Amino acid sequence: MDMRVETTRFGALEVDESSVVRMPRGPLGFEDQKEFCLIQHRPDMPFRWLQSTSDSALAFVVIDPAEYFVGYEIEISDLDAELLQLTCAEDSLVLVIVTVGKEGKTVTANLAAPVVVNSKTLVGMQIVLQDGRYLTQHLLLAQEERVSMENATAKAA
Amino acid sequence: MLVLARKVGQSIVINDNIQILVIEVRGDQVRLGIEAPRSIPVHRKELLEQIRAENVNAVASTDVETVTDALRKDSAES
Repeated sequence: MDMRVETTRFGALEVDESSVVRMPRGPLGFEDQKEFCLIQHRPDMPFRWLQSTSDSALAFVVIDPAEYFVGYEIEISDLDAELLQLTCAEDSLVLVIVTVGKEGKTVTANLAAPVVVNSKTLVGMQIVLQDGRYLTQHLLLAQEERVSMENATAKAA
Repeated sequence: MLVLARKVGQSIVINDNIQILVIEVRGDQVRLGIEAPRSIPVHRKELLEQIRAENVNAVASTDVETVTDALRKDSAES
C-alpha cells in the first residue's frame, strides 16, 4: 500500500508502507516528529534519506555504519530494546545520521546516537549510546581508507 | 531547583527508586554513582545537547546535490 509524502527536495513521492518508520519518540531535538520514510533517491549511492512524512522540509541523510566503520558495535539497552519491541539483534536495522559540512568539504557521521529500527515492526528510535568511544562527529573516510575504530579520529565540522 | 549539599559517601534518593551516591570528589570533579531502574534512561546532559545540536546541523546540510557529491567522493572506489 502506498502513501503520498510531500518533500521539498524530491517533490511529492509515493512511498510503500514498508518503508515507513514510526518513532514513539522523534529524533533528539525533533521529538514531535514521529513518522519518517526511508528513501533511496539514488539507487547507486550508499546513502538514504530519512524523510519526515509530515514536515516536507525535514530529512536526514543516513548511512549503514557497517559500510564505513569497521568494528562499530552498539549495545542496545534493555529499555530501548523494549521500546523497539526488539527480541533479537538480527531484527535491528542500524543507521547513522550524516552531517555534510559547508560545500560538502567534510562528511561526518553521528556514531554516538544511531537510529535503530526494528525491521519487522518498523518501529524506530534514535538511541543514545553509553559507550564513550563513539562521537557525534566521526569523519567518514573513503571505503578503501576505512580503518578500525581504534584508529578512527573525529574532526569538528 | 532543589539544591542539596552532600559529602562523599552520602546519597540522594529520588522517587524511592533512584539513588545518587557521591563516590569521590577529586579537585573539581565529582564521581557519582547512579542506581535507577533499567526503564529510566540516564545520560550526561552535555551529550544529549551535543546530539540535539548535531541533528540540527545534519538537517541544515541537506542540499541534495551537495550531499550526493560529497558522498560520491567518499565512496569513490574502483
